[in-house]
Amino acid sequence: MSIEVRNITKTFGNFVALKDVSFKVETGELVALLGPSGSGKTTLLRIIAGIDVPDERGGAILIHDEDTSGTSFRERRVGFVFQHYALFRHMTIFENVAFGLRVRPRKLRPSEDVINQKVSALLELVQLDWLGDRYPSQLSGGQRQRVALARALAVEPSVLLLDEPFGSLDAQVRKELRRWLRRFHDELKITSVFVTHDQEEALEVADRVVLMNQSRIVQVGTPEEVYHHPANAFVYNFLGNVNLFHSRVEEGKVYLGDIPIDLPSEAAEDAKTALVFVRPHLLEIELQPNGSDHFRAKVEHINAAGPVVRVELITDWGDPVHVELSHERYRALGLQRDAEVFVIPKERKVFTDHSKPFGSERELP
Amino acid sequence: MTEPLWIKSLLIGLAVLFLAVFLILPLVVVFTEAFKKGIEVYFASITEPDAAAAIRLTLLTAAIAIPLNFVFGLAAAWAVSKFDFAGKSFLVTLIDLPFSVSPVISGLIYVLLFGLQGWLGPWLAAHDFKIIFAVPGIVLATIFVTFPFVARELIPLMQTQGSEEEVAARVLGASGWQTLWRVTLPNVKWALLYGVILCNARAMGEFGAVSVVSGHIRGFTNTIPLHVEILYNEYNSAGAFAMASLLTILTLVTLVLKSLIDWRSRIHSSSTAVVDEGIIA
Repeated sequence: MSIEVRNITKTFGNFVALKDVSFKVETGELVALLGPSGSGKTTLLRIIAGIDVPDERGGAILIHDEDTSGTSFRERRVGFVFQHYALFRHMTIFENVAFGLRVRPRKLRPSEDVINQKVSALLELVQLDWLGDRYPSQLSGGQRQRVALARALAVEPSVLLLDEPFGSLDAQVRKELRRWLRRFHDELKITSVFVTHDQEEALEVADRVVLMNQSRIVQVGTPEEVYHHPANAFVYNFLGNVNLFHSRVEEGKVYLGDIPIDLPSEAAEDAKTALVFVRPHLLEIELQPNGSDHFRAKVEHINAAGPVVRVELITDWGDPVHVELSHERYRALGLQRDAEVFVIPKERKVFTDHSKPFGSERELP
Repeated sequence: MTEPLWIKSLLIGLAVLFLAVFLILPLVVVFTEAFKKGIEVYFASITEPDAAAAIRLTLLTAAIAIPLNFVFGLAAAWAVSKFDFAGKSFLVTLIDLPFSVSPVISGLIYVLLFGLQGWLGPWLAAHDFKIIFAVPGIVLATIFVTFPFVARELIPLMQTQGSEEEVAARVLGASGWQTLWRVTLPNVKWALLYGVILCNARAMGEFGAVSVVSGHIRGFTNTIPLHVEILYNEYNSAGAFAMASLLTILTLVTLVLKSLIDWRSRIHSSSTAVVDEGIIA
């Protein structure tokens, strides 16, 4: 079942939570709504579910090409997993999962046997069949999360919506659970949307990512698309660590230290300043200039604990720079604190106006 | 832990002494005075017609006031804790009002409203409704005085619980009533019961407000507390204490129930939460 969001606007008093938002989720897709906190993503999810109502501005939510406005939760049949699970604290896990079946009108309510079978099957699916008679308070965060998922699936939803599904779990459980969610989705093939502020999570789990900032959608695309072809400075900045240089534009060129960089073709003619972004792993350190474009910097701090070595540098003109190196490279260079080095940007991105969506990618020759 | 023994014993001793003088001694006095003239006199004084009428009236008043309070308290707490609306804090202040008004004044308000010289008095008299110096007045005054008990117990609990579970229930297809019966009520049942018990204790024990509107007509508009006063003023101390012992027993039962609920809900929420701690304390 597809989901279509059409021109949705939502205001809370003077605060605009969503500004004319539109996008479509195809049947069977797993889509991430990604954005910083306050970008409107949870509001959007709650509007799709019908928990919140959008402003009357001619917008609509369509599920399976049918307008859902004015329909009841029963008709809409969305599965919703709350950030803090919202399990019924006075019911056992079994009863939590059975709830959606038990509250059906008498004619549509399955028999006790069917409910038993169904709930058992769901608990097995989320690998918690041995916890049926416990209470939510006796479960760990990851287990509660899966109960919430089973409870949402019990009503055979047409779409599944998850609000920060891994938000309140610790790092290790988070990683396990998001791989599990991906496999789970591949098995069930149910159209799903999840909200997250964690770019790593979105890029790893989702088929497509909807990036939101300041109540608007900034970019929609596959994880590869948004990572390699970010629509604007915000997206580039948000999807991973970056070094940011504020540069002046002179005679159609941007300068990163002494390195001249062409302005992107879409750039505004009269741009006076530009932002240059370089990812930490796309900077190379050399002890001697090797003919490539470079700028000079001094080593401030080295952190060699972890899969990569993180080096903090400070440029001639006083900007801090973060570089990530492999351990081999680090040993070969024999870097020390206060060493003077040459930094070679292998790839960089230039944005002249970070509020407007355009961008380009430029490789060095 | 670190205090010297003598300080510890001194403080504990003081506390015990205080308890003995102010709580246990009066309790003992009530029962010794009640049984002073023997068990026959005791039972005679609580079964004589006027006393029996007072007991019946007290039970009737409680039986009317408590269900109304239950419904009102739940509705008010639900509105205040699950919704945002203009005038919310004003409503909360109104709910608390009976706590801050002297019970005598509460009674007086009803006399001014419904009394013969009051605003609605002439109209009521013309239509042969009797409120002041009659049972309806007593019930009204009791309801007013016990107004905040249930709501006050529920509001903080429902506020900490938030409305996420209710929203979850609705999304899962539950109707409004199903959500109330299956999610909201079970989540607050202990606080609700606790509120009802407190409300009951107050409804049966209320003196000031009821005294103003009752008119003290023996056998008709006397509740237990009023009857105690009359007997005491007539130097019938055995009778007065016998009636008082009934209220004392009610207090003890309330105390036991309160502890039980306290204990029960603590077990229920032992691992859950911090959430339930505040309410019962």
